[in-house]
This record gives sequence, C-alpha cells and structure tokens, in this order.
Amino acid sequence: MTTSPLRDLTDDLHDRLAVVRRGGSDAARAKHTARGKLLVRDRVDRLLDPGSPFLELSPLAAYEMYGAPGSDAVPSAGIVTGIGRVSGRECVVVANDATVKGGTYYPVTVKKHLRAQAVAADNRLPCIYLVDSGGAFLPMQDEVFPDREHFGRIFFNQANLSAQRIPQIAAVMGSCTAGGAYVPAMSDETVIVRNQGTIFLGGPPLVKAATGEVVTAEELGGGDVHARTSGVVDHLAEDDAHALDIVRSIVGTLREEPPSLTAYEVEEPTEDPDGLYDVVPTDTRTPYDVREVIRRVVDGSRFHEFKQLYAETLVCGFARIWGYEVGIVANNGILFSESALKGAHFIELCNQRGIPLVFLQNISGFMVGREYENKGIARDGAKLVTAVACSVVPKFTVVIGGSFGAGNYGMCGRAYDPRFLWMWPNARISVMGGEQAAAVLGEVRRPDDPVPLEDFKAGIREQYETQGSPYYSTARLWDDGIIDPVDTRRVLGMGLAAASHAPVPEPSYGIFRM
Amino acid sequence: MTALFTKVLVANRGEIALRVMRTCDRLGIATVAVATELDAEAPHARAAGEVVRVPSYLDADAVVAAALSSGAQAVHPGYGFLSENAAFAQAVTDAGLAWVGPPVAAMEAMARKDAARAIAVDAGVPVVPEGAAGGFPVLVKAAAGGGGKGMRIVRSQEGYAEAVASARREALSAFGDDTLLVERYVEHGRHIEVQVMADTHGTVLHLFERDCSTQRRHQKVLEEAPAPTISDDVRRLVTSSAVALATAVGYTGAGTVEFLLDADTGEAFFLEMNTRLQVEHPVTELAVRVQGQPLDLVELQLRVAAGEPLPFGQDDVTVHGHAIEARVYAEDSFAGFLPQAGRASEVRWPATSGTVRVDHALESGQVVSTAYDPMLGKVIAHGPDRESARQALVQALDDTAILGLTTNAGFLRTLLATDEFRDAAIDTAWLDRHELPAPDPGPARQLAAWAVFRAEQEPSGPFRSDGFRVASAAAPVVVELDEPVTLGVPPGRDPLAVVRHDRVEVVQHGQRFVFGRPDFMVQHTAVAGDGALLSPMPGTVLDVRVAEGDSVEEGQVLGVVEAMKMELSLKAPFAGTVTTVAAEAGRQVALGDTLFVVTEAGASDAAS
Repeated sequence: MTTSPLRDLTDDLHDRLAVVRRGGSDAARAKHTARGKLLVRDRVDRLLDPGSPFLELSPLAAYEMYGAPGSDAVPSAGIVTGIGRVSGRECVVVANDATVKGGTYYPVTVKKHLRAQAVAADNRLPCIYLVDSGGAFLPMQDEVFPDREHFGRIFFNQANLSAQRIPQIAAVMGSCTAGGAYVPAMSDETVIVRNQGTIFLGGPPLVKAATGEVVTAEELGGGDVHARTSGVVDHLAEDDAHALDIVRSIVGTLREEPPSLTAYEVEEPTEDPDGLYDVVPTDTRTPYDVREVIRRVVDGSRFHEFKQLYAETLVCGFARIWGYEVGIVANNGILFSESALKGAHFIELCNQRGIPLVFLQNISGFMVGREYENKGIARDGAKLVTAVACSVVPKFTVVIGGSFGAGNYGMCGRAYDPRFLWMWPNARISVMGGEQAAAVLGEVRRPDDPVPLEDFKAGIREQYETQGSPYYSTARLWDDGIIDPVDTRRVLGMGLAAASHAPVPEPSYGIFRM
Repeated sequence: MTALFTKVLVANRGEIALRVMRTCDRLGIATVAVATELDAEAPHARAAGEVVRVPSYLDADAVVAAALSSGAQAVHPGYGFLSENAAFAQAVTDAGLAWVGPPVAAMEAMARKDAARAIAVDAGVPVVPEGAAGGFPVLVKAAAGGGGKGMRIVRSQEGYAEAVASARREALSAFGDDTLLVERYVEHGRHIEVQVMADTHGTVLHLFERDCSTQRRHQKVLEEAPAPTISDDVRRLVTSSAVALATAVGYTGAGTVEFLLDADTGEAFFLEMNTRLQVEHPVTELAVRVQGQPLDLVELQLRVAAGEPLPFGQDDVTVHGHAIEARVYAEDSFAGFLPQAGRASEVRWPATSGTVRVDHALESGQVVSTAYDPMLGKVIAHGPDRESARQALVQALDDTAILGLTTNAGFLRTLLATDEFRDAAIDTAWLDRHELPAPDPGPARQLAAWAVFRAEQEPSGPFRSDGFRVASAAAPVVVELDEPVTLGVPPGRDPLAVVRHDRVEVVQHGQRFVFGRPDFMVQHTAVAGDGALLSPMPGTVLDVRVAEGDSVEEGQVLGVVEAMKMELSLKAPFAGTVTTVAAEAGRQVALGDTLFVVTEAGASDAAS
C-alpha cells in the first residue's frame, strides 16, 4: 500500500471513529452490560437484518464540543442514528446510548435526533426508536428545551411523520423519563422490556417531592404496568433481544410502496476506487481533474459528459451509481458566469427527467473582480442557486475538497437541503479561506486597534483553520458524516436507495434573473 | 440352453425392489411391481413396468395372482416379507411360475434352527457346542425362532432352570413351538457369513465372506467384505463349510451361511442359513470379482432360476479390495434409537461413483411411515483396502443429508469414525455395551446460521448483506438461532437446509439438527408475565386448587374467581412452583389483587 496524504487523513478518521464507537467509559459500559442490557451499537446490529449495512449518520457528532477542551465527553452525542435494513426494509434507527451521560439530550443530541427524523421524512423511511435516555441534559436546558428546533420538536415530528403514514415504532429498553416518555407514547406501536424499561412523566424522586408517595420505578412505570394496566405500550419483551425481535416483527407487518427510482444492473467502476487516495491532492489550492474522481465513483467508470467543451471549470454529466441514474455536478476550478449557466441548465435537465443530482464540491468560490461583477456574475450565480434551491429531485452532496463562500450555495451546501451531505477527511468549509478572511478583516478593522496586524491576522487564520476542519463541521451536524473516500460510491448508493422510497414531485422554479 | 425370463414380478418394495428391477432393466426383462395402497406412489411402484395393487406384501395369494394376471414368468421375493416363506415358494411353483430362490425343501430344512444344526453336523460343519455341560455361559434359544425372541443368556447354573422355563413360554407364544436349543454362549463374537451361489446343475460355489459384527440388538448396522479379522485357515473353514452345507441341502440360487466367530479363541461355529438375498449383498458385489469382472448377484439368481448353469468356477472368484455398507434407518440413534416418521422434505444421497454405491428408495418429499421397515437405504463404499473404503464411506455419509425426519446417518458416520471400528475391534455386542456420544451441535449451528443467512440475505444493491459500516471494518454477521451465531468462514458447499421462520434444519456429518429461531409471530405469548396472577375483575374467589410449594404445569388452573356472572380460571403462566397463595375460597377480591405467584422452573430447552 502506498502512502498518500489523503490516506493518512483517512486512517486518522478510522482511528477517531473507532474510539467514538466504543460509546461511554469502560465503567459505564460494564455497568450497562452487567444489567443484561446490550450496548447501543449491539442493539442496532441485532435489530438490523443479519449482515445489513448501516449508514450511520454523524457518528462524530458533538466531537470535542462538550467537557474539557480537546476531550470528547459525549461520544456520538450519546445517540446512534442511521439507516439500516430491518425485516427487509430500509428504516431510520434512532438509539440512545445510556453509557454516555445516561443517554441525556445535549443540544447536538437533539439536533441529531431531529436530523434523523428529517431523513425519515425526506425519504419516507419508518422510524425505530430504541429508547434508553434520562431526557434533557438539565444543565443545558436553555439550549435543549424551549426553541423551535429543540426537544419538543421530536414529538411534533413523530405526530406529523405518523400523519404522513411514516411508521413510528419505539422500544423502551431503559429509562424514558419526563418529556422522553412521549417518544413511546407518540409512537404507532411500542415495545417495552420487562424489569428494565420504564416510562413515566415524573420519576420516583419527583413523585415523592410532589405528593409524598413512595413508589418504585417498576411500580410507577415498568413494563408490566404499561403492558397490562396503563396501555402505554403494546408489547412486553423479556429482554433486549426479545424486544428487538418484536420490533423486527412489527416492521415485517408494514406495507411497502414501490420505489420511485429505477435501479438498473450494477457495474463496478473499472477504475479502482482505491486510486482516490492518490488522485486527490490534500492542498485544496492544488488543481486536479475531478473526472479522476468521477470515474472512480460511477458504474463502469462511464460518464456521459454534458457541454464538455464549454465552461470547463464545472463538469456536468450523466452516469449511474449502483444502477441508479444520476446527474453529476463537479467543480473543476473556480465558478465563472458560464459555469453557473451550464450548471443551471444541467440541473434543469435533471429535474425535467427526474434524475437525482450528485454534487462533488471542491470550490473556492465565484470569480471576483470588476470585469466579472460588471458582466453580472451575481446574476448568473443567482440562476445556479435558484436551480439548486428549487430542485425537486433527490440531491446528494459530497465535499471532496474546499467549500467556500457562495460556491457552497451553488453547489448544494447544507442550506440547500441535499438528502445527504458527506465530507471527505481532507474537506475544508468556511465562508472564505482563512488567508482571505484575515486580509479582509485586517483591511476593515479599526485603525486604532492596538494588536499588531500580523498577530491579528494570525488569530483570524487560526480561527478559520479550526472552524474549517471537517471534524468541527461534523461535530455540529453541518454534514451527515465524514466518510472514507473509497466509500463514496457506497454511501451515495445507499442514499439513492433510501431516496427511492419517496416520490419525486413536479419541478417548478422561482424567477431566474435574466 | 434355457431362455432367460422376459417378465419378472418383484414381490417386495423399497430399495431391494428397485435393486432387483435395475438388473432386470439391464437384462431387458420387463418388471411387475406389487404395491399396497399406501405405496401407490412409492419409488418401486413408479420404477416398474407395471404395478398390481395388493392388500399386503405378505398376502401370498394376492402376489401369486398378480404374477399370473400380469403374465410374469418368475417371482423375485427380495428379502423380508415372503422371501423365506416356504409355503409361498410352493404356491409360486404350483402356479407354474419360477421361484427366484432355493427349492422349498432347502428352505424348510434351514428354517428350523435345530434341523439346520443337525444337517450342519452331518455335513461336517462346526457348530456351537451344545448343552450346559460344557460350562457357562450358555445361550438358550427357540428352535423355531428368530429376531432374538425366546433368547436368554445364562451365566450360571442357578438361573438356568428359570431361564429355560421363561424362554420356553416365550417361544411357545411367539412361534407356537417351545423346542429350545442350548448352546455355548460366545462373549466376544464376530458375525461372519458366507455368500453361496448354486445352480440346478450341481455347481455350488462360495463368493467369499462378509463380516457383520457391528450390530445393535442383533440388528446389523455396518457390514463389510471381506472379513477383516479372520485368518486364511478360518476363511477356508467357513467357505468350505458353507459350500458343504449348501450341497447337503440341495441348495440353489443365492444363500448366506452365517457363522459365529469366537474372537477370543478364533473358533468359528455355524449359526444358520438365510435362504434369500441378504440386505448386505452389495458389499460382496463390490468386493468380489468373477473372472475379473464385477458381480451381479441378482443376475445370477435370475439365471439360476431360469435353469442356466453358473458361468464360472470357484477359481474364477477373487477378492477385489474391500467394501463397507452402512444401513440408513429412520431412527433417532442418539435419543434411544426411537423410530422416526414423517415427510423427508429434502433428501440428498451421496453421488455414486466407482467407489460409492447407494441403494435407496427415498426421494425428496416422500413420506416415511412406520408401517414398513424403517430402512431408507444403504450407502456402500469400496476401496483398495479397508481403510480407504472406511474413509470413502465416512465421506459418503458426510454427503448424505435427509431433512424432515431424523435418520441414523450421523450415528453411522460417528461409528465409522471410531477407533474401534477402524481397528475392526467391534464385536456383536459392542454397541449394546457402548453409547456413542452425540455430535457437538456447534458446527451444525454454524452451518444452520449460514443457511439462514443465505436464504434471507440481500445479495445485491447498496443495502446488500455485507455488514458495511461507514469508515470501518464490516460488522460481523450475527444470525439469531436458539442462540446468536456469528458467521465464520463460509461453508465450502451449500449445506442442505430447510429454513423456516421459526426454525432451521441442517445436516452435518449425516446428522440432522433442528435449531429454533426467534419468531414473534409464532411465539407471540412468549412473555408469560412475572408469574403473579392478579384478580382480573372485582369478584369472589370460588376455588383454590393449589397450595404453596406445589409444582404446577403451564396452563394448570390454580384457582377460580367469579365475577359478573362469569367464572374466570387463573392458570399458571409457565411451569414452576407456587410460591404464594393469597386467594381464599369465598373471599371478595378487588381488581388487581395478587392471588397467586408462580416461580418459573429452570430455563426450557430452546433447541429440539
């Protein structure tokens, strides 16, 4: 195996993920399993069909965000989410990790839970909640509880997903306290593990404080109570494994609708995807031909390029990934007016034909300067952004290099609702490069600023360096995860398969500025 | 020269009927089968040129009538059923048909053990020393008997009188004849038998011997040819004795003279003569050559019955390597040898080749009933020497897979693999003294898990079952059976398996295994609750039927509550012990009052 900078970055990603996937501390995990409970990823594995892949979403969520600086105090934000196959059906799984702060919801935990529900909504996938959580992380209640996209939204989503006939299934495998009690209560069908799962609005300490009643957790809201007396749950399970079997059986009873996308016969790329490590330079400023990437991602390495000779800094064309037709939009340099026009045209083509879009993003931005501004590059950029924003076909974005400025918008950044957005380990994301930001801020700062200019600029550069990291991004859920470049084809395939469960509506656009 | 038959009725069923028909087909002889209603679609009925329905395979009149109505010229009886019935042979002959077997007189002479013994003595054939005078132990057996009935081993003078009396009673009730034989009992015996073949022109030849010492309760389990332990002297003794005996009774056709070999002294004694084709005849066919050519005993039987002379002499008969046969039965050998019945949902016999022969009458989908002999087929392997034949047979049994019901194939395989069989150290009572350990279910469980996985995996598409994980090694594939199984190295060839939602069946090394699978839709009521039985309604306790400490079965009624004019039985949710009785007859109870508590017995066995 040859070494390459991208391979080194990828190895680093694997290492970090391996740590995160262990979950909570050794002590917390030992305590958890000593109670006969399965660890969260073991629960997910046993829930899924044998050998099912699992498209885990944002496993590095909350990475280094909480606790002491540089520490990863809340691995995966204490919740595992993703798409896997259960009883032959692709489902969204949301599973609390009770070994991480008792499975309580930090701000990013909430965001990750809501993101999983959004994935379920966009792709019409059944939701399975494996509940084992103490509820909101009380010290941060102001960032967890009150706002529109906070804790309450989970139940709002459950109600509305159910209304859209997207099944909501919960298995209560541990605590399910206070607001959390609504996860099973709001579900279509619910399982509880006897002598292990509990559901109550107020736990025994709160009950004692409020009314003086002394009651055990099991008497208050244990499995037998809810299965036999309260009717809060529908199925009583002996243990984790049994609960997961019951969930699998429930999923087996669900109706499945025909897919909206056609999968043709799959052809492996003739160009070895392993070569991706070598064709991509890690310095985002070094140019290379993005077709080298495309050929290693698409079926048979076959790419029907559109307007190859025009606006060469944006490569557009048709290909198949895992048998699914896709339109690929890939940066091959800076965006000019022509590139934007070409991209807008191609995106319209894809929408007209109902073909999903794949954006391979490596963009430092739109061209600047008097000539370009005067010619109206903003007008053409707006056309591209309009086309992207109003696209109705499923969109997938992979940041394979830089993601800067308005290029991020035109190339379907997170704000443009791609079904999934993944990053490569070499990716960088910020409103502009650190160097440019330092220069701009150096120009506009107060002339009497006592800090020496170079120190000032160094501070800005350092901030951009930190915040532009893919780990900074993925911790905050600006993406759905950092992937191994070699897996690009696979995760796109899984994304396409997931997307095929939702119908594609008729396209319509806002006004294109002419 | 006499013409061979053009049409033969085969008065049998199962593998032997098919075996006889194969030779007939090869010789251009048309075949007629008889079949009972139960066997209307049986393999032998389908294989024959024509079929005549008979009420029973033991109905001699019906079989003779079938032969006459179908225009057959001869009747081949196979083994079992009417094959050693002299009256039937007589009826066949009286009807003007050829009997593919010895003369009636020879059959009658050999049918009685005492008569046969006398003839043997006259012919100079060694017999087991008679009477208790020669010391103990002795074997007391019915003269008219067979199948172990009326047999007693007596080890000392004290028990002798009582044993004789009870054997006499049993013989009388079983055979209507209380004549007994008392012989020296051989502690470590080997069963040696000589295949003889005689024609109607005075030629009597032997085709060497077989060793059928691996027996269970006098039922042969493994048979081989030639005998692995005897000296040339003993071989000469038994073969010449067999020829002398057959000559003495005017025998024709194929017959078998059985000897008991005392493994401790090397002496051989005449036991009895079987006047038919034996189950184990294929080992002779594989291990003996005539003029260097393979042997077909059925062909020789037919030619002799048609009056042809044997086309070879004793010097043309040579031993050719070694052959071993295993009898595959529908029985659960590791659970008390209980007979098994049911539908053989999937059947895979080993591929036949120069080294492996399979005589069977069991195909996928066939129903095995207890109405007939439980033998499903025979797997026979040949090799240049005993060890290669043994290994080939082990391999062949590994390739034998019968699903839907349990067979002894795994037991046979285990037995063949023992050091004792390898060393030819198994005497006729060995299996009655030793219990073979049941095979470890672990490797079979792994096979079963693979079978489940292959039956249910998603083979293609991005959600295919390869355990993909983002930026990580693939997750191990875990299949839930009676316990979770992590898939290891894939099996070299697809295991034959039947995968159902609630269970999976596989065969490994011939042994059938059934593993449960969690299936919520089948085991919906698996959660029995915590064993506390609460009052389902406010009402009155009518009856209390258990006391604390009682053991109860699942579903047993513990007490009755009357409420709203209904009587509600409170039943034990699972087997266990009653640990609390809070109910009292006549007492008012409120909704949800605890009336009984049952504590569960030990975890039940998931796999069957």
